[in-house]
Amino acid sequence: MRSSTETWRGAATDLRHLMGFRSRSVRRPRVAAVSLVMVVAMTVLMAVAPAWLSGIPADRLDLVEAALPAALAGFLLLGIGASMGGGGGRELLPREQAVIHPIGPLTEHLGALVLAPLNLAWLLQAWALLATTALTVGPHGLLGAQVVVLLWVVLATAAAQVVGWSVEGVRRTRHGVVVIRSVTGAAALALLAGQVAGRLDDLSAALPTARLADSLGGPRWPLVAALLLVLVVGAVAAGGVPARWALGLPPREELRVESGVHEARPAPTPRLLGADLALMRQLDRGSVWRSVGMRRGLIVLAAGPALVALGAGLSWDTVLILPGLGASGAALLYGVNAWCLDGRGTLWRESLPVAPSATFDARTLVTAECLVLVSGVPVLAGAIRNGLPERQVAIALVACWVVVVVQVLAIAMSWSVRRPYAVDLRSPRATPAPHAAMFGYALRLSLVTTVTGMLFVGASSVPIWWLPPAFAALFLLRSGLRLRRARRRWLDAPARAEIALTVSAG
Amino acid sequence: MTPVIDIRDLHVRFGEVEAVAGIDLAADSGRATALLGRNGAGKSTTMKVLAGVVPPTSGTVLVAGTDVAADPLAVKRTVGYCPDVGGLVPRATPWEHLQLTARLRRMPEWETRGRDLLERFGLGDVAHRVVGGFSHGMSRRLSVVLAALHEPAVLLLDEPFDGVDPIGVEATLEVVADARARGACILLSTHLRDLALEACASAIVLRGGSSVAEMDAVELTSETYRALLD
Repeated sequence: MRSSTETWRGAATDLRHLMGFRSRSVRRPRVAAVSLVMVVAMTVLMAVAPAWLSGIPADRLDLVEAALPAALAGFLLLGIGASMGGGGGRELLPREQAVIHPIGPLTEHLGALVLAPLNLAWLLQAWALLATTALTVGPHGLLGAQVVVLLWVVLATAAAQVVGWSVEGVRRTRHGVVVIRSVTGAAALALLAGQVAGRLDDLSAALPTARLADSLGGPRWPLVAALLLVLVVGAVAAGGVPARWALGLPPREELRVESGVHEARPAPTPRLLGADLALMRQLDRGSVWRSVGMRRGLIVLAAGPALVALGAGLSWDTVLILPGLGASGAALLYGVNAWCLDGRGTLWRESLPVAPSATFDARTLVTAECLVLVSGVPVLAGAIRNGLPERQVAIALVACWVVVVVQVLAIAMSWSVRRPYAVDLRSPRATPAPHAAMFGYALRLSLVTTVTGMLFVGASSVPIWWLPPAFAALFLLRSGLRLRRARRRWLDAPARAEIALTVSAG
Repeated sequence: MTPVIDIRDLHVRFGEVEAVAGIDLAADSGRATALLGRNGAGKSTTMKVLAGVVPPTSGTVLVAGTDVAADPLAVKRTVGYCPDVGGLVPRATPWEHLQLTARLRRMPEWETRGRDLLERFGLGDVAHRVVGGFSHGMSRRLSVVLAALHEPAVLLLDEPFDGVDPIGVEATLEVVADARARGACILLSTHLRDLALEACASAIVLRGGSSVAEMDAVELTSETYRALLD
């Protein structure tokens, strides 16, 4: 075993080789390069431009400044959630490809750290932190403040990785899954209770990040930066310990699914759908809910925003944005490469005597179910906390929900037929497409759904009841056409063969 | 008599790559034919065309009198296909695979035969476990079971012996013998000449996407086979 003798220097060298290998296998390098330039440009813009904004009322600025400690702590929580949900962190190479290489846990740990920014939520939060800092600090002392914030971003990511690997290690012990579920549930309930009792503001003020926020823009930033740098090195090094531990244990939850007994349910006898379609939908549902990663992802995506909506009492304006983001997140679990759900079995399924339209419709329906679930739970939570919205908001909310679900579904199915990938989703750390592609998908989905959500926020504030349904009709028409194009492509035998061969080649 | 499998001048292209370059092939009912050749010779692609999974780029392919290009669904009802790779939905159990294939083929009474086949292939104990945890050999054996469940008129077995233990090999040979006895047409693709000769009466050797020889299996000595591959 290489792992026991693996050194940090060796791990860094292996990481370089693996990143080189991954970057050389990017399908569209020009698009990836342009995206990278855009991300860097956007980061610089966020870090600098708000400092020169003028005309913002002082009370607004005070509010933004007061929220900074919580935002800094929130970034750490986000990182912890991402690394916990991803089984420790993203994979440098898919597991079935990595087994033939002597890749040690330290390399895996460094890889997970390097790949962490390819999560859209990570990037958006980082941009938000940079922009907030620039806004509150202003042009003087901006450079030092942003150096400190960037170091905090790196430290929070490394610290989150330590927690992520530790949680994965516990999860792989005998009663680990129950322990983690209990602790996570208790923590969520405690946060909820704290929020409802109005105690979270006190907690926010007492956070260590409050001192960090105070130091921003001050003359002592080199000292703070040096301290953070030391902590970064410590956190990265500390992460190696739980990474070694976790990756040395068998993935108990996955093994339990694979070795457990799953009695087949009776074949469905549907009233509305055809028998073939219903049977395939049943099989597809099993493929989703028996996957540890997808099940975990769906629960986290539904429960996380719902808890926030329940606890923080989000305004309906904010709740209107949630379904789009939730649906986008759910699509990123497998929907953007929907055929990978069958893995190598795609070829066998294609040899079955069933109309290809039924296969497409079953996959679309099951994906839609996931999107509806994840996007619907936070709305329900918002309604429980806020009570029923007034009529115009209710109309806009329902219209927006339907629109974003169909919108995301159409986009995901369209990508699935146009750009299939061979992927094995057995590991919770696996993604349905390469990391660069996933980042692009996340960016586009969240952008489209956020803009759509904001449009409906606008429509909810105008007292014209038919405006949201009118917008919805236009969006649904466009998405419906897109979905029909994707379906038509799937029905084309050569295109379908290409998809089946690509997906089953993994 | 018209052959059950009748391929004339079959070409299959994937972009710039010509996977099959003008194959002519015929196979009769009640007979097992081995499809032999090196990697990339076009065996698996030909099998996929016969299974209705990949449409031919040009040429004529008839399976039990049905044109594959015109009615792939009818062809899929006729054949039983064991793909060369995986061929299984990772988070479904063997029983769920059997249930799906039986229902889609409108088989009202399939459970007894399904159970019997699973037992014969040593998979009875794992009928309700997801196949994602199966070894390669177990997956191969289940793929043969799925291909044979409905006693198809045309049985297409692509590398059925790959990584399979002796009991699995024996069970596969039995499936081939049973199918032959009931008058099915069997096409069996493999790299393993000895097993091909044991299972089949005739052999077709492919090279570079074309058929280069067709002969009785007994005539295919290792020297002859080797010479045909080079």
